[in-house]
Amino acid sequence: MRLTRRDRLVLFSPLAVLLGGWLLLPALLGFMATFSTYSPFSTTLNFAGLDNYASVVSDPQFAAAARNLAIFTAVAVPLELVVGFGVAYILRLPVRGRTLWRILLLVPWLVSPIASGVMWHFLLGGATGILDFVLGWLGQPEAPSPMGDPRLALPTAIAVEVWRISPFVTFLLLPSLASIPTERWEDAILSGATWFGRLMNVALPSVRPLLLTITMLLVGLAFGTFDSVLILTGGGPGTATLTPALYSYSRAFVANDWPVGATAGWLIAAGVLAAGLVYLWLARQRAAE
Amino acid sequence: MRSRRNQAPRIALLAAALAIFLVPLVWTGLAALGLQPDSTTRPPSWIGPLTLDHFLEIGVAEPSFMQELVTSTLSAACAATLAVAVAFLAAYALARSASGASRAAAQGFLVLASLPVMAYVIPLSDLMRRTHLLDTFGGVVLSEAAVTAPLAVFVLHGALAQLPTEWEEAAVLDGAGLAAIVGRVVLPLAAPSLAATAIVLFVIDWNMLLVPLVLTSGDIKTIPVALSDFFTFERELEWPTAAAALIVSLAPVAVLVTVFHGVLDRFSLDVATAA
Repeated sequence: MRLTRRDRLVLFSPLAVLLGGWLLLPALLGFMATFSTYSPFSTTLNFAGLDNYASVVSDPQFAAAARNLAIFTAVAVPLELVVGFGVAYILRLPVRGRTLWRILLLVPWLVSPIASGVMWHFLLGGATGILDFVLGWLGQPEAPSPMGDPRLALPTAIAVEVWRISPFVTFLLLPSLASIPTERWEDAILSGATWFGRLMNVALPSVRPLLLTITMLLVGLAFGTFDSVLILTGGGPGTATLTPALYSYSRAFVANDWPVGATAGWLIAAGVLAAGLVYLWLARQRAAE
Repeated sequence: MRSRRNQAPRIALLAAALAIFLVPLVWTGLAALGLQPDSTTRPPSWIGPLTLDHFLEIGVAEPSFMQELVTSTLSAACAATLAVAVAFLAAYALARSASGASRAAAQGFLVLASLPVMAYVIPLSDLMRRTHLLDTFGGVVLSEAAVTAPLAVFVLHGALAQLPTEWEEAAVLDGAGLAAIVGRVVLPLAAPSLAATAIVLFVIDWNMLLVPLVLTSGDIKTIPVALSDFFTFERELEWPTAAAALIVSLAPVAVLVTVFHGVLDRFSLDVATAA
């Protein structure tokens, strides 16, 4: 149906009010505040130029958080994609009890990040956890929680996040993989394609746009990593698992250094928007093909 | 024939995946029921007895837990409904616009959907304070709806762009107005997609920590805020009680997804169409 200008206006305005008032306006006000000394707790307001950015960037804590985030994103996102795709690839063919498999394999995504942090906090540390139980069976002495070890804390936080997010990737990929026409698999088998060849030439091309979309969402999730490490490690030990989001939150609401917190928040936004530009460029490349 | 012969190795792989993904939760469930491992014996053993007492202890550790369950349910349901309703109208307008522009706009909404809440929640809390929406149910619902609406627009745009337009054109010839077309023609056709999106958004809202944490000082408390409070106030909770609280917080969304698993496929397919 052909919509008039007025129709479009009517249909768009509720969304415009919601996003304008509760997302774009705060984001814009926050952006402007990063160039000032604005704080809800202070009565003076001065132009600060790039001072806030200078203090965030020169803060060794933020540098550590940025480094952790780079590692977190570079490791967690590909792992989530590979594990999620792998499970969906196995589940794509009819198997006995497939509905039940699918529901059960989605459950970790239903666990909130905060609950996942609480759970793994106990499972990896403490006498009642899985780690000590397994070590006990292997005849090994009890081990301290890997979250307390500066070298193991970040890999552990990544593993916990992969455990929680991969099922969502499987959930998103499965219907598309399952709906690839049987003939395309059979043609590939008849033409002598190996298991790997079928994966590369049949499965991947049919979900490539979807993988790009999922990657964008996963990068955004990784950049916002906050509640999944809040209880698990609290950012520690030291700054081993500190993320920019944790840094931003603790600056604004714990240290009451509002401008620095808001500025760090904007740097997270800038990172995601940069990733968004890459996504839009890649999506356009594909459309042009 | 071929697929049947190949089932055994696939089932073995699936069982391994299932073990990795579910053993932690089963462990938590057992602890909630009072069954805990004793790793000091060789080999490790289990100590019981089975009991439901730990579920009652939640109410002792967190007296308003029932209230928080109700708040979580209502706020997530309202936020998901609002986001889907608003996104549906906008996505319909997008889907019936020139295809190139509409696709680019939908991709822009995906970028917006990827934006972490942390990027703007600090000024949002200030804005809510100034408009007296801090610590109100409405403030939480509107903020959560705004977080999730971009994803809903992206997904529903994919769903609506696929719908055949003949019905709408027939309705136009019958003299139907915009409201009648959207309400009586498009809405029923898009209902499965709307339901699937609403369920996924409900799960996201149910688990959201940062919005209720920053926009409330305890009056409007949801389950994730309560779970984080268990620890941040230095009252190290007993593991069985924490485990019971985890199971209770997971159960509603697990039941929801199990009951509506048939319609949830629609969400994944719509994301694929939108991509």
